[in-house]
Amino acid sequence: MNGEPDRAGKAAGIEPFVSVEHIVKRFTTADGSLVAVDDVSFSVARGEFVSLIGPSGCGKSTLFNIIGGLLADYDGAIRVGGEAIRGTHGEIGMVFQEESTFPWRNVLENVAFPLEIAGVPKGERHERARHFIDLVGLGGFERRQPSELSGGMRQRVAIARTLAAAPQILLMDEPFAALDEQTRLLLGDKVLQIQQTLRQTTLLITHNITEAVQLSDRIIVMTYRPGRVKRIVDIDLPRPRTSAVVSSTAFGRHVAEIWNDLREEASRGMRDDERQLRGGAER
Amino acid sequence: MNSSQWGPSALGLGTAVATAAVLEALIRGGAINAYIVPLPSQVVLAFERVLVEENVVHRFLLTTAETLVAGALITVVGIGLGVLLHRFRLIRAACETWVAAFASAPVVLMYPLFLVIFGRSATTIVMMGFVAALPPVILKTLEGLAGTRPVLIDVGRSFSVTRSQMFWKIMLPAALPTVFVGLRLGLIFAMINIVGVEFLINFGGLGQLINELAERYDLPGTYAAIGFVVLVSVLFFYVTERIERWLRPA
Amino acid sequence: MAASRMRRASVAIVRAAIIAALLAGWEALARSGLLFRDVVPTLGAIARAVATLVSQPVFYVNLGWTLGEVALALVVGGIAGLLVGLLLGGNRFIGRAFEPYLYYLGPTPKIIFFPVMIMWFGVGPASKMALGALSCFFPIALSTAAGMRQIDGVLIRVGQSFRASTAQMVTKIYLPAMREPIVNGVRLGLGVAVIGTLLAETKLSNRGIGYLIIQAYSTFDMPRMYATLVVLFALAIGANALVSRFSTDHRRR
Repeated sequence: MNGEPDRAGKAAGIEPFVSVEHIVKRFTTADGSLVAVDDVSFSVARGEFVSLIGPSGCGKSTLFNIIGGLLADYDGAIRVGGEAIRGTHGEIGMVFQEESTFPWRNVLENVAFPLEIAGVPKGERHERARHFIDLVGLGGFERRQPSELSGGMRQRVAIARTLAAAPQILLMDEPFAALDEQTRLLLGDKVLQIQQTLRQTTLLITHNITEAVQLSDRIIVMTYRPGRVKRIVDIDLPRPRTSAVVSSTAFGRHVAEIWNDLREEASRGMRDDERQLRGGAER
Repeated sequence: MNSSQWGPSALGLGTAVATAAVLEALIRGGAINAYIVPLPSQVVLAFERVLVEENVVHRFLLTTAETLVAGALITVVGIGLGVLLHRFRLIRAACETWVAAFASAPVVLMYPLFLVIFGRSATTIVMMGFVAALPPVILKTLEGLAGTRPVLIDVGRSFSVTRSQMFWKIMLPAALPTVFVGLRLGLIFAMINIVGVEFLINFGGLGQLINELAERYDLPGTYAAIGFVVLVSVLFFYVTERIERWLRPA
Repeated sequence: MAASRMRRASVAIVRAAIIAALLAGWEALARSGLLFRDVVPTLGAIARAVATLVSQPVFYVNLGWTLGEVALALVVGGIAGLLVGLLLGGNRFIGRAFEPYLYYLGPTPKIIFFPVMIMWFGVGPASKMALGALSCFFPIALSTAAGMRQIDGVLIRVGQSFRASTAQMVTKIYLPAMREPIVNGVRLGLGVAVIGTLLAETKLSNRGIGYLIIQAYSTFDMPRMYATLVVLFALAIGANALVSRFSTDHRRR
């Protein structure tokens, strides 16, 4: 377990594949300048599953948008395979927290969307889409409309769609947040399965500690605003993460440790909110 | 479940029939002048007469054709202008309130002006329907495009879509339900104004029929014709409602 | 902030540019001789006609007639619409029995009822007012009925717990709770009442703004027709804006 922000990758000698370097993001609000992300650096090795966890207001959604390329105005650099990128990039696939399937397309057309954009002919793109639909366990649902599916199934469609673009890095922003606990667990398992099969480099943004420990190789813990890397935790638990692993003491220790970190940050956040409210009331 | 549906419908229908019966009695009894309110029974008879003698099918087709032409025009021009206003934010900020204000103005009062410009012809009628029906189509198209859920735009951006792809593959499909609402509103406005102007300028199909019967002092005929036109417009409203609902899941 | 000030300035510039372009195009068309004389009069001719129009007492007399007809139409149609709406919205059974009739009869051309109105009310202002009332009855009734149904049930139970009479329930609970949908219905009603009354005036009348328009048409005094339409539209849009402000002001409170 590391206490220092880790810049060189998981173990000495492994090339970082994605490198997030000294990201600083400021927003101008009505009350002045707000620093959402303050000098955040970390890296993800090829095939690694890394989670980014932090209290509300730590800037993790901002980081999601920056790494994904939806925000291009920031200080610092993002490198993929050594090359610097800024703005949306085909190498980075994004899965959003909200409902993001196209309601006017059926499952097959939804998943085939990135291939359609790239100009892949119909027959081929439908075949490739079917492969990913099977991968997320929705085989047989190709002709269904999203309105006929449950929330969890729709998120699976969104994941399949992003994977269909064959991105080098899969970036997910709390994709299971809108789902109930059971669906969450099952979907988490599914995503892990897929990630292991494809050896997909994955960065997951979440606020759920158990989920993060269950799925990740490493966890980056963020501070409350302005967001910095508080600590990076190596999750050296064996794979596959069976229920035996999940109920082990080692697992519990990781969870407790991160919980302590987050509690510290979350209470700072609450004190901050209270101070703001009190200040507002006095005005 | 079934009884709760039958009850209200029976009351509604029953009241209509009862009112007609009471009217019939009052008129026969002399309490109401038969030269002002004709006997409901005579109106029913006139219905058949009007349908047979007055070339109603031909008139209906004429009015429908005028409405459909106006409908085609508002589809092309209305959606086109809506897309244009959405694309150029500055022009939208400048003009949107103007379009909304135009929607609240008594546009159909310009029909004497159109009479001068286009003469007493079907062109005047179609143009009047077109102009009156344009604002809701433009406004709903704008509303639909502007109301695209931001996450869908983000999905497009994350896949690096071109501007054209973003419009045709994401924004327009997302806006289509609202656009259809606008088209339906426009079609209804067009029909109402078209029939009204037909009546006013005594030219055209169904509206003209009423005017003619009124000028002939054919009382039961006039009432029957008005009833028929109301029926047609109710049917038109119902059919467009059905079509819109059928297209909605898309 | 500086950005929004710049924004408002650019919008103003675009508006001015569009207006200027339209006016220039109009003037060019008017002077080109492409159309039959006076179908598109010059801007100067129209401006003069407007000035003449608003300086003539006959304009104000006729405006008074129209305003009177519209006002009465709104009162009659409005009160009838309000009462019927309250009844339909308050009683589910009656609502289900009769509201579909209003819903489907609403979007029909009302001007075709004018011959009937003439037979019942004569050729004077009463028939125009009747047509206006018929026009605005439907949107007001339907908005009121819908407004009744969306009142929070808790408020009704509060009134009942204090054993308020029907009149008190209506004036102290229903109507205040329905301010927004009623004002909206009145705004719609005003629009169609104006249209209905004016169209009737153009068909058969010797008074009112509609009459002035047809008079200009039959004497082929095009500048006067344009002038009357311009003034009419300005008044109608202004009245609509006034009523809208009335409803937003209430919302802010």
